[in-house]
Amino acid sequence: MSKNLLIAFLLLTPSWSVPPDSQWVLDKSTLTYHVSHPLHQIDGVSHAARGKGVCHAGQCDFLIAVPVKSFDSGDSNRDLHMIQVARGAQFPMVTVRLHLPESAATQETIHADLEVQFAGQTAEFKQVPFQHTTQGNEAHITGTIPATLTGFKIEPPSLLSIPTKNEIPIRVDMTWHPQ
Amino acid sequence: MKPKLAKTFLAFLILLCSTLNPAPVRGQTAGAVLSGTVSSPAGAVVSNAKVSIKNVATGQVTEVQSSPAGAYTAPGLAPGDYEISAQADGFGSISAKVTVAAGAKQTLDLALPATGTATEPSLGDLGFTPDQVKGSALDQARLDRRSHMLRTHQRLGLITTAPLIATLITSAGAGGRHGTASGRELHAALGGVTAGLYLTTASFAIFAPKIHGTPVRGPIRLHRALAWVHGPGMILTPILGALAYDQRNRGEKVHGIASAHAPVAVATGIAYGLAILSVSIKF
Repeated sequence: MSKNLLIAFLLLTPSWSVPPDSQWVLDKSTLTYHVSHPLHQIDGVSHAARGKGVCHAGQCDFLIAVPVKSFDSGDSNRDLHMIQVARGAQFPMVTVRLHLPESAATQETIHADLEVQFAGQTAEFKQVPFQHTTQGNEAHITGTIPATLTGFKIEPPSLLSIPTKNEIPIRVDMTWHPQ
Repeated sequence: MKPKLAKTFLAFLILLCSTLNPAPVRGQTAGAVLSGTVSSPAGAVVSNAKVSIKNVATGQVTEVQSSPAGAYTAPGLAPGDYEISAQADGFGSISAKVTVAAGAKQTLDLALPATGTATEPSLGDLGFTPDQVKGSALDQARLDRRSHMLRTHQRLGLITTAPLIATLITSAGAGGRHGTASGRELHAALGGVTAGLYLTTASFAIFAPKIHGTPVRGPIRLHRALAWVHGPGMILTPILGALAYDQRNRGEKVHGIASAHAPVAVATGIAYGLAILSVSIKF
């Protein structure tokens, strides 16, 4: 997603001199979901995402995937419950696909359309803004995906019979490098 | 050629042909079976996928379709090397190689990549193994059952706090100088309700399916540790209470081990409250 956008950005910038049919690989990543509850503010973090971007004939396709069970909220019982409500045993991967023209990489803020597969459902997020910076040949992308539980047909988990909020924004922080 | 010699020659030819052509008979009885499951990139089963099994040596192709459960079976295969490919609407194709032994029953699961253009990366490109990508309905059912039982544990645990608090409050009318027989009856009844609800609550946590390979960390560790305090306390408190009840009804002052009833009950109540708070409030 944002990583994909960053890759596309990099490919479009003349100074990068990326040849046609180039590829990008996700180097480091931190994905963080946030769940709000009257008694808790929960952040689940994963560093296990893998990603790849392939550019050809002015178009770039990106895929990022992360195992559902790799998210750590600091409490194993809560993590297991999250995996259960997200049907993570049956659908163990979250995948994000992104398709961008190389021309999209001329802006510092990239607006991308994302296709996210999660919990056996596919949801699309239109024009999600991502910020990017570059250092050497690495591209750094940050942003937030405005995900919701209902968007993936997930029943909000509850604590003490009080359900969590429907919004589960996912913060994205990724570093990509050319392959 | 003389007739006798001709018959002998013909018999020899027949015998020679029968010994030189046994292979097709053996080939028909080889009967190896190749089967497996076709799944999507997200791990869901894929039905109506077209699975082609090509014998590398002969070039013969066997085609089968996956069932609604995603399963495919190709029976009657001769031993040898095969190239397997699978494709389905909405997905990319996948191919694999397998060597089939005579009469063997081999399994080969096929995870289809996402559809896309020639440049579009797939999950396979990211280096995830089939085991990481493949989902398990059985494991999901186990998680569902676990969560259902723990939710019940949580709700019953909250309900139990009501008679627990009431029992503590009514202790003032059960013991001490102002204690009465009716006060003790009420206190004992509420204590009995509390103990019953508590044991039911605990059983839902104790018998919830365990998920192996998951290290316990976070506040749930404190929640579990406190159970080793309020658990024995919830068993000991009614026993001590029964002793105290008998002593008071006989007109005696509570003495001996029964005098530990109140402090044990208070400690149990505090541990129980902390156990609830440990998973309710973020420290």
